[in-house]
Amino acid sequence: MTQGGDETPAPDSDMAEHEGAEAEPSRLSEAEREVMITDNLGLSHQLARRFLHRGEPLDDLVQVASVALVKSVDRFDPGRGVAFAAFATRTIIGELKRHFRDKGWAVRASRRVQELYLELGHATSALVQQLGRNPTVAELAAATGSSEEAVIEAIEAGQGYRATSIDASDDEDHPLSARLGSNDSQYQAVEERALLAPALATLPVRERAILRMRFMDGLTQSEIAAEIGVSQMHVSRLLSSSLEQLRQQIRDDDEVE
Amino acid sequence: MGGDPLLSAPSDTLGVGDRVELAFPARGDLVVLARLVTSAISARAGFDIEELEDLRLAVGELCLLALQGSDRRHGDLRLEFRVSTDSIDISCTLEGAAPALTARTADGLEAEQLSEQILSALVDEHGREQQDASARAWLRKRRKGPAA
Repeated sequence: MTQGGDETPAPDSDMAEHEGAEAEPSRLSEAEREVMITDNLGLSHQLARRFLHRGEPLDDLVQVASVALVKSVDRFDPGRGVAFAAFATRTIIGELKRHFRDKGWAVRASRRVQELYLELGHATSALVQQLGRNPTVAELAAATGSSEEAVIEAIEAGQGYRATSIDASDDEDHPLSARLGSNDSQYQAVEERALLAPALATLPVRERAILRMRFMDGLTQSEIAAEIGVSQMHVSRLLSSSLEQLRQQIRDDDEVE
Repeated sequence: MGGDPLLSAPSDTLGVGDRVELAFPARGDLVVLARLVTSAISARAGFDIEELEDLRLAVGELCLLALQGSDRRHGDLRLEFRVSTDSIDISCTLEGAAPALTARTADGLEAEQLSEQILSALVDEHGREQQDASARAWLRKRRKGPAA
């Protein structure tokens, strides 16, 4: 196995700790190797802690970091002029990041956030009952067993904000959201109009005019009365009878179909 | 596609030259603010989920570095985010805090070293400056995600 560049070593196919050691024997004696590992366990521990807020148990993280430490001890080449601590930090952070990536962290995290958001909904109603007021983030964090940061994040996510992908777009005037479907209220209107049209056609011209003035132009019955020169009472009766006739007509059409 | 993705980004994203500032009392428990704002800004600047996590982690280290060796009972941490064509620059300055009276401890120095090592692993460039009572730590990360 060759080592390329002085970047973090390319990830192996799995976490085989001894692979590197066998392929490229360490220049360290067994005793030296052990000292180097134990001396730097603190480093792997501290680096593992840096990843705590991502929702993995510390023990798992420490394990990943420690395995990565062993790897970096076995791969470290003092001849390259890089300090071991710097080299190990890169390798360990690389492995911790890979741990999350391999576990499909992005998906898991968003699901975790979603679940937390739902959980927050229940917790909020329960706490409102219990406290007689809206709960604080600290109270919600305690109730759901999460950190305050996670609660804030979940609230933020629940309110529609999501990282890059949701609204990323390659088109300046058309963010993705503009292409998302929603229920178009106009469809309902079109359908109703299509249903009404034949029924309307059966009404006398004056009744149709009254319906148009009332429902499309938004005139009051009195205004319509003044317009066509009849009493408001008469307009009222004409409207009721026209509407009744339309309903009847639509019902009949339905039965035919 | 062609063209600069940031220049042709939807209007609710941060564009080239946009600058955001955040100042808060220099306390460790408020670093969460820095991380949340970092997420929001990096996401809008087109960084992918993993880069975003790197930046969140890195900003925490910036704050730690700025706080090192100062009397942190006073003063504010001021973060400045600047988005450019292919990268983001973040700086964290501790303002208005007196330098600590006691010399730095070995633990403190070790912590600083660790923060710097972490930054080296997460971002493309980073550095720090000390000027009287104000310590400043900065980073630059280039965008590699799909939007770049």
